[in-house]
Amino acid sequence: MDVNTGAVNSLIETIVSDNDATRNRSLDELCENSNLETLLLHADVLDSFWRGADNLYHRVRCLFFLAGIYRHHLPPLLINDAPGLIPFASYRQLLERRFVEAINLLLNKQATDGPSDGLSSALAHAYHQLAFQTLADQVRKSVRTVRGNQWMFRTGHPADHPLRLRKELLKQKPDNPLFPILSETTAVRMDFSHSGWSDIFFLGMDYPAGARVVNASINLGVTGRDERPQPPIECYLRVIDRPVLRLVSLDLKASADVTSIDEVFDFARDYLGLLKAAVIAAGIVPPGIEGCGQSIEALLERVIGQPGLGLEIVSKVNDIPKGSRLAVSTNLLGSLISMCMRATGQVSGLDGELNEAERRVIAARAILGEWIGGSGGGWQDSGGVWPGIKLIEGAAATETDPEHGVSRGRLLPQHKVFSLDEISAQARQKLQDSLILVHGGMAQNVGPILEMVTEKYLLRSPVEWEARQQAIEILDQIVAALNRGDIKAVGQLTHQNFFGPLQKIIPWCTNLFTDSLAKQCEQKYGDQFWGFWMLGGMAGGGMGFIFDPTVKKEAQTWLQTAMVETKRQMETRLPFAMDPVVYDFEINDRGSWGSFDHDNTMRMPASYYSMMVPQWLKQPSHELSVASRFELEQLGTDYRNHDSSDPFRTLIESILPGRKSVRSKTESLDELLARMGFDHELHHQIRTDLKSGRYGMAQNRLPLNTSITDVKPDDVVDARYGLSAEANDVGAAAIHAGKVGVVTLAAGVGSRWTQGAGVVKGLHPFCQLSGSYRSFIETHLAKSRKVASQFDTSIPHVITTGYMTHQPIVDHLQDVNNYGYPDADIALSPGRYVGLRMIPMVRDLQFAWEEMPQQKLDEQQEKMRESLRSALIGWAQGMEEGSDYRDNLPLQCLHPVGHWYEFPNLLRNGVLKKMLDDRPQLQYLMLHNIDTLGANIDPSLLGQHILSEKCLSFEVITRRLDDRGGGLARVNGSPRLLEGLAMPREQDEFGLSYYNSMTTWMDIDALLSVFGLSRADLANEQKVEQAIRELSQRMPTYITIKDVKKRWGNGQEDVYPVSQFEKLWSDMSALDDVSTGFIVVPIQRGQQLKEQAQLDGWLIDGSADYVDSLCEWT
Amino acid sequence: MSIRRAVVTAAAPDQKSLPLQSLVDQRGEPKTALQLIADEAVGAGVEEICVIICPGEADNYEKAAGEHANRLTFIEQDNPRGYGDALFRARDFVGNDSFLHLVSDHVYISQRDEGCARQLVTLANEQTCAVSGVQATRENLLPYFGTIGGHRTGQRNDLYEVTKVLEKPTPTLAEQELNVAGLRASHYLCLSGMHVLTPTVMELLEQMILNLESGETIQLSPALNALAKRERYLAMEIKGRRYNIGVKYGLLKSQMALALSGKDRDEVLTEMLDLVAAQPESTSPIGNGR
Repeated sequence: MDVNTGAVNSLIETIVSDNDATRNRSLDELCENSNLETLLLHADVLDSFWRGADNLYHRVRCLFFLAGIYRHHLPPLLINDAPGLIPFASYRQLLERRFVEAINLLLNKQATDGPSDGLSSALAHAYHQLAFQTLADQVRKSVRTVRGNQWMFRTGHPADHPLRLRKELLKQKPDNPLFPILSETTAVRMDFSHSGWSDIFFLGMDYPAGARVVNASINLGVTGRDERPQPPIECYLRVIDRPVLRLVSLDLKASADVTSIDEVFDFARDYLGLLKAAVIAAGIVPPGIEGCGQSIEALLERVIGQPGLGLEIVSKVNDIPKGSRLAVSTNLLGSLISMCMRATGQVSGLDGELNEAERRVIAARAILGEWIGGSGGGWQDSGGVWPGIKLIEGAAATETDPEHGVSRGRLLPQHKVFSLDEISAQARQKLQDSLILVHGGMAQNVGPILEMVTEKYLLRSPVEWEARQQAIEILDQIVAALNRGDIKAVGQLTHQNFFGPLQKIIPWCTNLFTDSLAKQCEQKYGDQFWGFWMLGGMAGGGMGFIFDPTVKKEAQTWLQTAMVETKRQMETRLPFAMDPVVYDFEINDRGSWGSFDHDNTMRMPASYYSMMVPQWLKQPSHELSVASRFELEQLGTDYRNHDSSDPFRTLIESILPGRKSVRSKTESLDELLARMGFDHELHHQIRTDLKSGRYGMAQNRLPLNTSITDVKPDDVVDARYGLSAEANDVGAAAIHAGKVGVVTLAAGVGSRWTQGAGVVKGLHPFCQLSGSYRSFIETHLAKSRKVASQFDTSIPHVITTGYMTHQPIVDHLQDVNNYGYPDADIALSPGRYVGLRMIPMVRDLQFAWEEMPQQKLDEQQEKMRESLRSALIGWAQGMEEGSDYRDNLPLQCLHPVGHWYEFPNLLRNGVLKKMLDDRPQLQYLMLHNIDTLGANIDPSLLGQHILSEKCLSFEVITRRLDDRGGGLARVNGSPRLLEGLAMPREQDEFGLSYYNSMTTWMDIDALLSVFGLSRADLANEQKVEQAIRELSQRMPTYITIKDVKKRWGNGQEDVYPVSQFEKLWSDMSALDDVSTGFIVVPIQRGQQLKEQAQLDGWLIDGSADYVDSLCEWT
Repeated sequence: MSIRRAVVTAAAPDQKSLPLQSLVDQRGEPKTALQLIADEAVGAGVEEICVIICPGEADNYEKAAGEHANRLTFIEQDNPRGYGDALFRARDFVGNDSFLHLVSDHVYISQRDEGCARQLVTLANEQTCAVSGVQATRENLLPYFGTIGGHRTGQRNDLYEVTKVLEKPTPTLAEQELNVAGLRASHYLCLSGMHVLTPTVMELLEQMILNLESGETIQLSPALNALAKRERYLAMEIKGRRYNIGVKYGLLKSQMALALSGKDRDEVLTEMLDLVAAQPESTSPIGNGR
């Protein structure tokens, strides 16, 4: 340990120092030029340090340092070493979230086997997860220990309930069985700047001085639809004459009469999770009471003070779609909590605004509610509860705070509302006259971005840290500009913030759509466009555009059209959830506002009756409560007096629904199936086998007595250190002679990539390379172009397409003129097979959820998942297991049938025949996945394949933790690729050194002969059909469960698990009559980008530069 | 400080019959609740007692006062404006002297030789300031009581300097503003309906009543809260228990407490056991373990 002690100490010193300059040194700087031995010593010392550290931030920063060393600094020094196997036991511990135990196992393995790339990936993951777990635990602890929240965790029985409903809510008028209504209206928050996501709880607690946000509470209206902007959030509460907790969400069209306390804690049972979280966080059903087994009736009797009565809570968000970046859900939660606290006397007034102390408790409760509901937000998010424009700042933890001695900052920030002296009424008006607020239509998950920011800041990554300081300065300049009333400067500053520091910190906060809109604004309005304004965590959804007020009105109309047109151009490439919308807005100067109906004359909003009346009418009138009958009569009387008003039309329409939609959807699905050449007979047979139990998740697996062992060194050719000169020469000659082509698989939509949003992954502009957004397809073509020009030849490049991707790819390639790739050298291979999804069998769902290893989630999220799963099992049973899945958009009901069919497609659709007719010299193809960005026509690898005289050569890579789903194995003594689905036991995979990259070199003639075909036979359709059918019967059929999104309402989405089948390409390696080789390639070549969250690491570790270096862009 | 006068409030219309209820005291003698309260005051050295009542109740109360009738002065609270207003009606009665204040719907049972009120008056004499009797109470009972915030003083573990008084606080507010070091978790110091008050309280009530809007009422707690800001104000955990006869089974519970701490304890206990034994096995209506 004496060696490098100085360097080791420097890491610990950085973590514990009180000196800013020392503490803010970056991990990169500290590890620069360190050799393997030094880095391992660093890791060793850091590991001992965190285990003994009492201070939360010392511990967390140390964990991030460890994750950084194992993720970024060690792999380049290990990448070409022997593969290191990750112990299965450690993987199980990771899934169970027992991170410390997993780390111990991995370190033991590292001590015995030596460091390896695979172990590093697992250690990086474990330390990273442990760091976030530690932070999340602290936030929760702080939320629980905030004064005013603690009692709720102690109350364990209705008889102990210390809250009472205010008596005013029980005052009825004579001859009126209805109780008076308490309502709350709340604004949403629009942030001018969050100083580089500094409102993430952890960051405010790490560096309170840097945690600063300016945001405004605003009212909204949709331009052209609403007369004037209103507070977008409305909530209502009243006593009802049934002893239930009635929760009603008017936006989500959901209501429930909750009768047991346990049901309140069942969040995923219906769409009322947020209302439930609010009822809990407001203390009406305090969190400590969970699991007491009592009825809601007993609790309500205690709280209301009378038996037989209940509470009704109604929420209404005025048509703001998801992804608005205006923190709608947090403010809705705040609004509901505020209302429930008014009703129980925890907020002093039933009417009017809140005082500062009350707002602070509500903000703390909203955080609690988000934790209980398993979601999360930033600490500025409940800003709509406060009035006007305010500065929200982190605060140092003092002795009276629960965070004292644990972290530098407090969980809750402090709010300073700007007075009219500080930001004048004129300045506010000028802002309203200049800013156009929009929803661009994209609804994306901002979660990964928040994790990236946290990690980068805690590692003090130099570029990001410097950008953060710039963002903090920009915030001060924005405040100064608001003080001066200089809105043009505000626009310039938010623009500068977005295109400067924010994108330096997180390049992924923007996208092609946003950049294109900003560019169009600049082109159209020049100096009169004052700037772009990112709202919340990322751009694409809610956004702002600031214009010279003289053109604002015109620009507003223009922008609406421009956004819709731009969306139309990009909707197959980017995940849009809805059409873009332009809002009118105004600053809300009241904050959350209560109104109590002292006269007991107020009604629920019209949409309430549209939703509830049809339910009431379904009940026999003697089963209706007195109050509901009275309300029906009231409505009847009103109708007779004002029958032509809009609310009544809506009400009547809700009672008498139209019927067009269902019919047209079914027909078009059938039409689509007919057009796609859907094989009803095959589908029927698979469905029957699925129902009878012949096919299923459990049946995918090989028998338990199958011997699965790792391959021997001779089973693979290791190309990581380069191959022979001969291979290179042979390959180079073949390329030059035009003997090789590329097949890029782009038939699937890459459901993991945009989480089932149905975007064509191949066209997704995922990253900027050489200064421009590049799609996967453009990148693959650029690699082929480079090889073609290097070897002075042409490379035929086939892109396979499927029913979801074909037309978008055709259109896009036409728009971009094939990215300049020669017309003659590019071909699309449209899919010729399609499947119809099925409602899953409950046994398959149970297998997937119980038998397969699952990532255990955080405590509250785990509860959510369990309740969701039981609801989904109910759904599958209700819809009939194994029946056709038709309850969605037609395209969402279809599924691709697996990449084994891609080569048969080439035969069936004539593309291969044409290629061979055009270039008889063509002998080899390289087939690769859309997301294997490092794959190109490498002369040595091609030469190796040619010299080996194999039919197929598969490229494999050493395994990292995330490389799940099979690998290269000796199965009963023969080397082959084995799919994860077919592994008899989960742990078998962890004994395999190599992972399949899917990149395959093939000898065309040899492969044709496997099908029993020759080049000449390709013209004979019947023979081709027969050959494909025969071979397909030899290939295993896997049943899989996929998540499919069903969109509804305003950007709302549900995810359903559906069954589908597939046949997989790698199983070709199992056929006796196919000669197969396996080549180990470097990770940068073989790694696949499956999730957008991988992009940041991919950029940092040099993989992006590597791919860029393989490309020749036009 | 000499405490010669006491004020008993009994004017809440829904509780006007409570002081007239009959109980049997610790000596086995039948007494009304009003007599018990008067006993408590007299035991503390009080000579004159003013009872604030609903209009038209004087005769009933006089009858119920038994041997204390000659000490009692009745003041009717017409146009009632809350508990604070009821107390304020005794302003002329107390004049410029400190006085003992008791509520009429409580029964107090001391665990010492001297009564609960005597403990309080003795302390007030020593400290020459206002003192309220308090009892550490679990937070689920907060909806029923005025509650104080403060800190221990005088090197005694039963004496507190009061900094804040809130009427029936929610636990949310209590946790933020009424935490008292030294109490068990989830416990607060709730007023036990027994106070020695200085004339300042009357001044404060007067100001508050003047500022009342039409239809508004005033509690005592806001005046006590203002008192804590104005002058030294202590709270003492009385060595004894108070029983509220105005709640469900309150009268029964008070009676049992009296009987079980008095001379007929064995007899009553035997009767109770007989009753219990004669009943079928009980099932708890409010769930497990309760």
